[in-house]
Amino acid sequence: MGAYRADEDYDYLFKVVLIGDSGVGKSNLLSRFTKNEFSQESKSTIGVEFATRTIHVDDKIIKAQIWDTAGQERYRAITSAYYRGAVGALLVYDITRHVTFENVARWLKELRDHIDQNIVVMLVGNKVDLRHLRAVPTGESSGFAERENTFFMETSALEALNVENAFTEVLTQIYRVVSRKALDIGDDPTSVPRGQTINIGKDDVSAVKKGGCCSG
Amino acid sequence: MESKVVDENEEGPVVPMRVDRFGFVKQEHGPTEGLARSRSAFEYQRDERRIRKWRKMIGVGGSDWKQYVRRKPHVVKRRIRKGIPDCLRGLVWQLISGSRDLLLLNPGVYEQLIIYETSASELDIIRDISRTFPSHVFFQQRHGPGQRSLYNVLKAYSVFDRDVGYVQGMGFVAGLLLLYMSEEDAFWLLVALLKGAVHTPMEGMYLVGLPLVQQYLFQFDHLVKEHMPKLGEHFAQEMINPSMYASQWFITVFSYSFPFHLALRIWDVFLFEGVKVVFKVGLALLKYCHDDLVKLPFEKLIHALRNFPEDAMNPDILLPMAFSIKASPLSLSLSLPSPLLPCD
Repeated sequence: MGAYRADEDYDYLFKVVLIGDSGVGKSNLLSRFTKNEFSQESKSTIGVEFATRTIHVDDKIIKAQIWDTAGQERYRAITSAYYRGAVGALLVYDITRHVTFENVARWLKELRDHIDQNIVVMLVGNKVDLRHLRAVPTGESSGFAERENTFFMETSALEALNVENAFTEVLTQIYRVVSRKALDIGDDPTSVPRGQTINIGKDDVSAVKKGGCCSG
Repeated sequence: MESKVVDENEEGPVVPMRVDRFGFVKQEHGPTEGLARSRSAFEYQRDERRIRKWRKMIGVGGSDWKQYVRRKPHVVKRRIRKGIPDCLRGLVWQLISGSRDLLLLNPGVYEQLIIYETSASELDIIRDISRTFPSHVFFQQRHGPGQRSLYNVLKAYSVFDRDVGYVQGMGFVAGLLLLYMSEEDAFWLLVALLKGAVHTPMEGMYLVGLPLVQQYLFQFDHLVKEHMPKLGEHFAQEMINPSMYASQWFITVFSYSFPFHLALRIWDVFLFEGVKVVFKVGLALLKYCHDDLVKLPFEKLIHALRNFPEDAMNPDILLPMAFSIKASPLSLSLSLPSPLLPCD
């Protein structure tokens, strides 16, 4: 069954989705973040893929369950079901193909139609290693991100540039929202059993908080 | 059975590439493929005998085939389940899928589609060409004959059926066919499958909303519960549903990520008997790994459902197991409740 790290131990479990047009590099961003791998010969994603990684924020262990989705429009019939319960999203476009950036607004709408308004969204301009082919100026994207109230970063899965930062930033922001909210409503976060979803108000992100002993 | 692709007399940087008997580049420390070992004299003779039998059954260029199938359908079914000899596979696939007839009825149509028509899907197709069987020598070379053929077939289909157009996953189907037949033959086999020349049309798997994929996943879910109640229960508890692991089984008929020798054996039966075998093979995989799967928590389950152990993917073990499963007509006739809720 392959090798597993002993990563059953975590304080928070966040579900994150990777979305964006086909061929922008979602799967390679995921494999860079979870396995530190990049493949020049990757196959197009059919349906959904899944991977996890654990990071530390403050003194907490945060585990990310990341769903990587097929980018072709027609696959949304299957993939949009995976938006449910997500508390974070990386919305990826390819800086060398302007049309993938133009479609970002549609992806964002799709996302917001399916889940809470306050899901943490990171706009990700991937493939910055292809500098000579850039078609989307950084300013254009950062302006969009500001207007739409999303985070923004440019990455290269190939050169492992900013990939770590992009994912970590999303997870950290989710953590901030969740822990702040838990504080506000005086909830004892350790009392929630594992697997239970905390819905912190209608307009807020939800997250799964682990408590008790692991069943691993 | 191994061969080197690189011509050693050629000048220039020689990168020796080792490929398996189907043309896939071997990973240096990859798992040893079940069929990679050299075949024994016994196996060789057995294969020769089988090929002779098959040749007799088909006749020259397939001339005796239809009559043979009419006279002895059970013999044909049994032999196909044992695997079509690789050297005859391309021809037999065209015979059993009905694509040969389509080709003969439509002379010049393929050429027309390729040369004179344009498709809205052209860019989508191009983007996926190098991402389809990237580890196969035929498709590896940028703009090489393999990639060109793949593009042509997919473009032709996207013009032929503009409602379907091009959907990711079709490339693996077309790619698999192109390893066994010409572009035009592969195109008509694609038409035969999607339009339902012999069996249920597959086009619903690729149309907007992927309705047939959703229906099959729904039915598969029921079949798991029916045949393996304990596992079905466990899946429900861990919130695993078939769309997490089986979409690609249906969309590409096991050609996306399964060992190629297994995919071919499944395709033999799929073309002759229809989509039922996809359900049965899926169930057999779960059955084979049942005792492990019922113990695994969510994440490990997902991993296990995407990485079946090598012994589970031996066609001579898996297929007989699949054939012994009686998928009840009830489950196979189930249709989705509306509105569609694929993830629940």
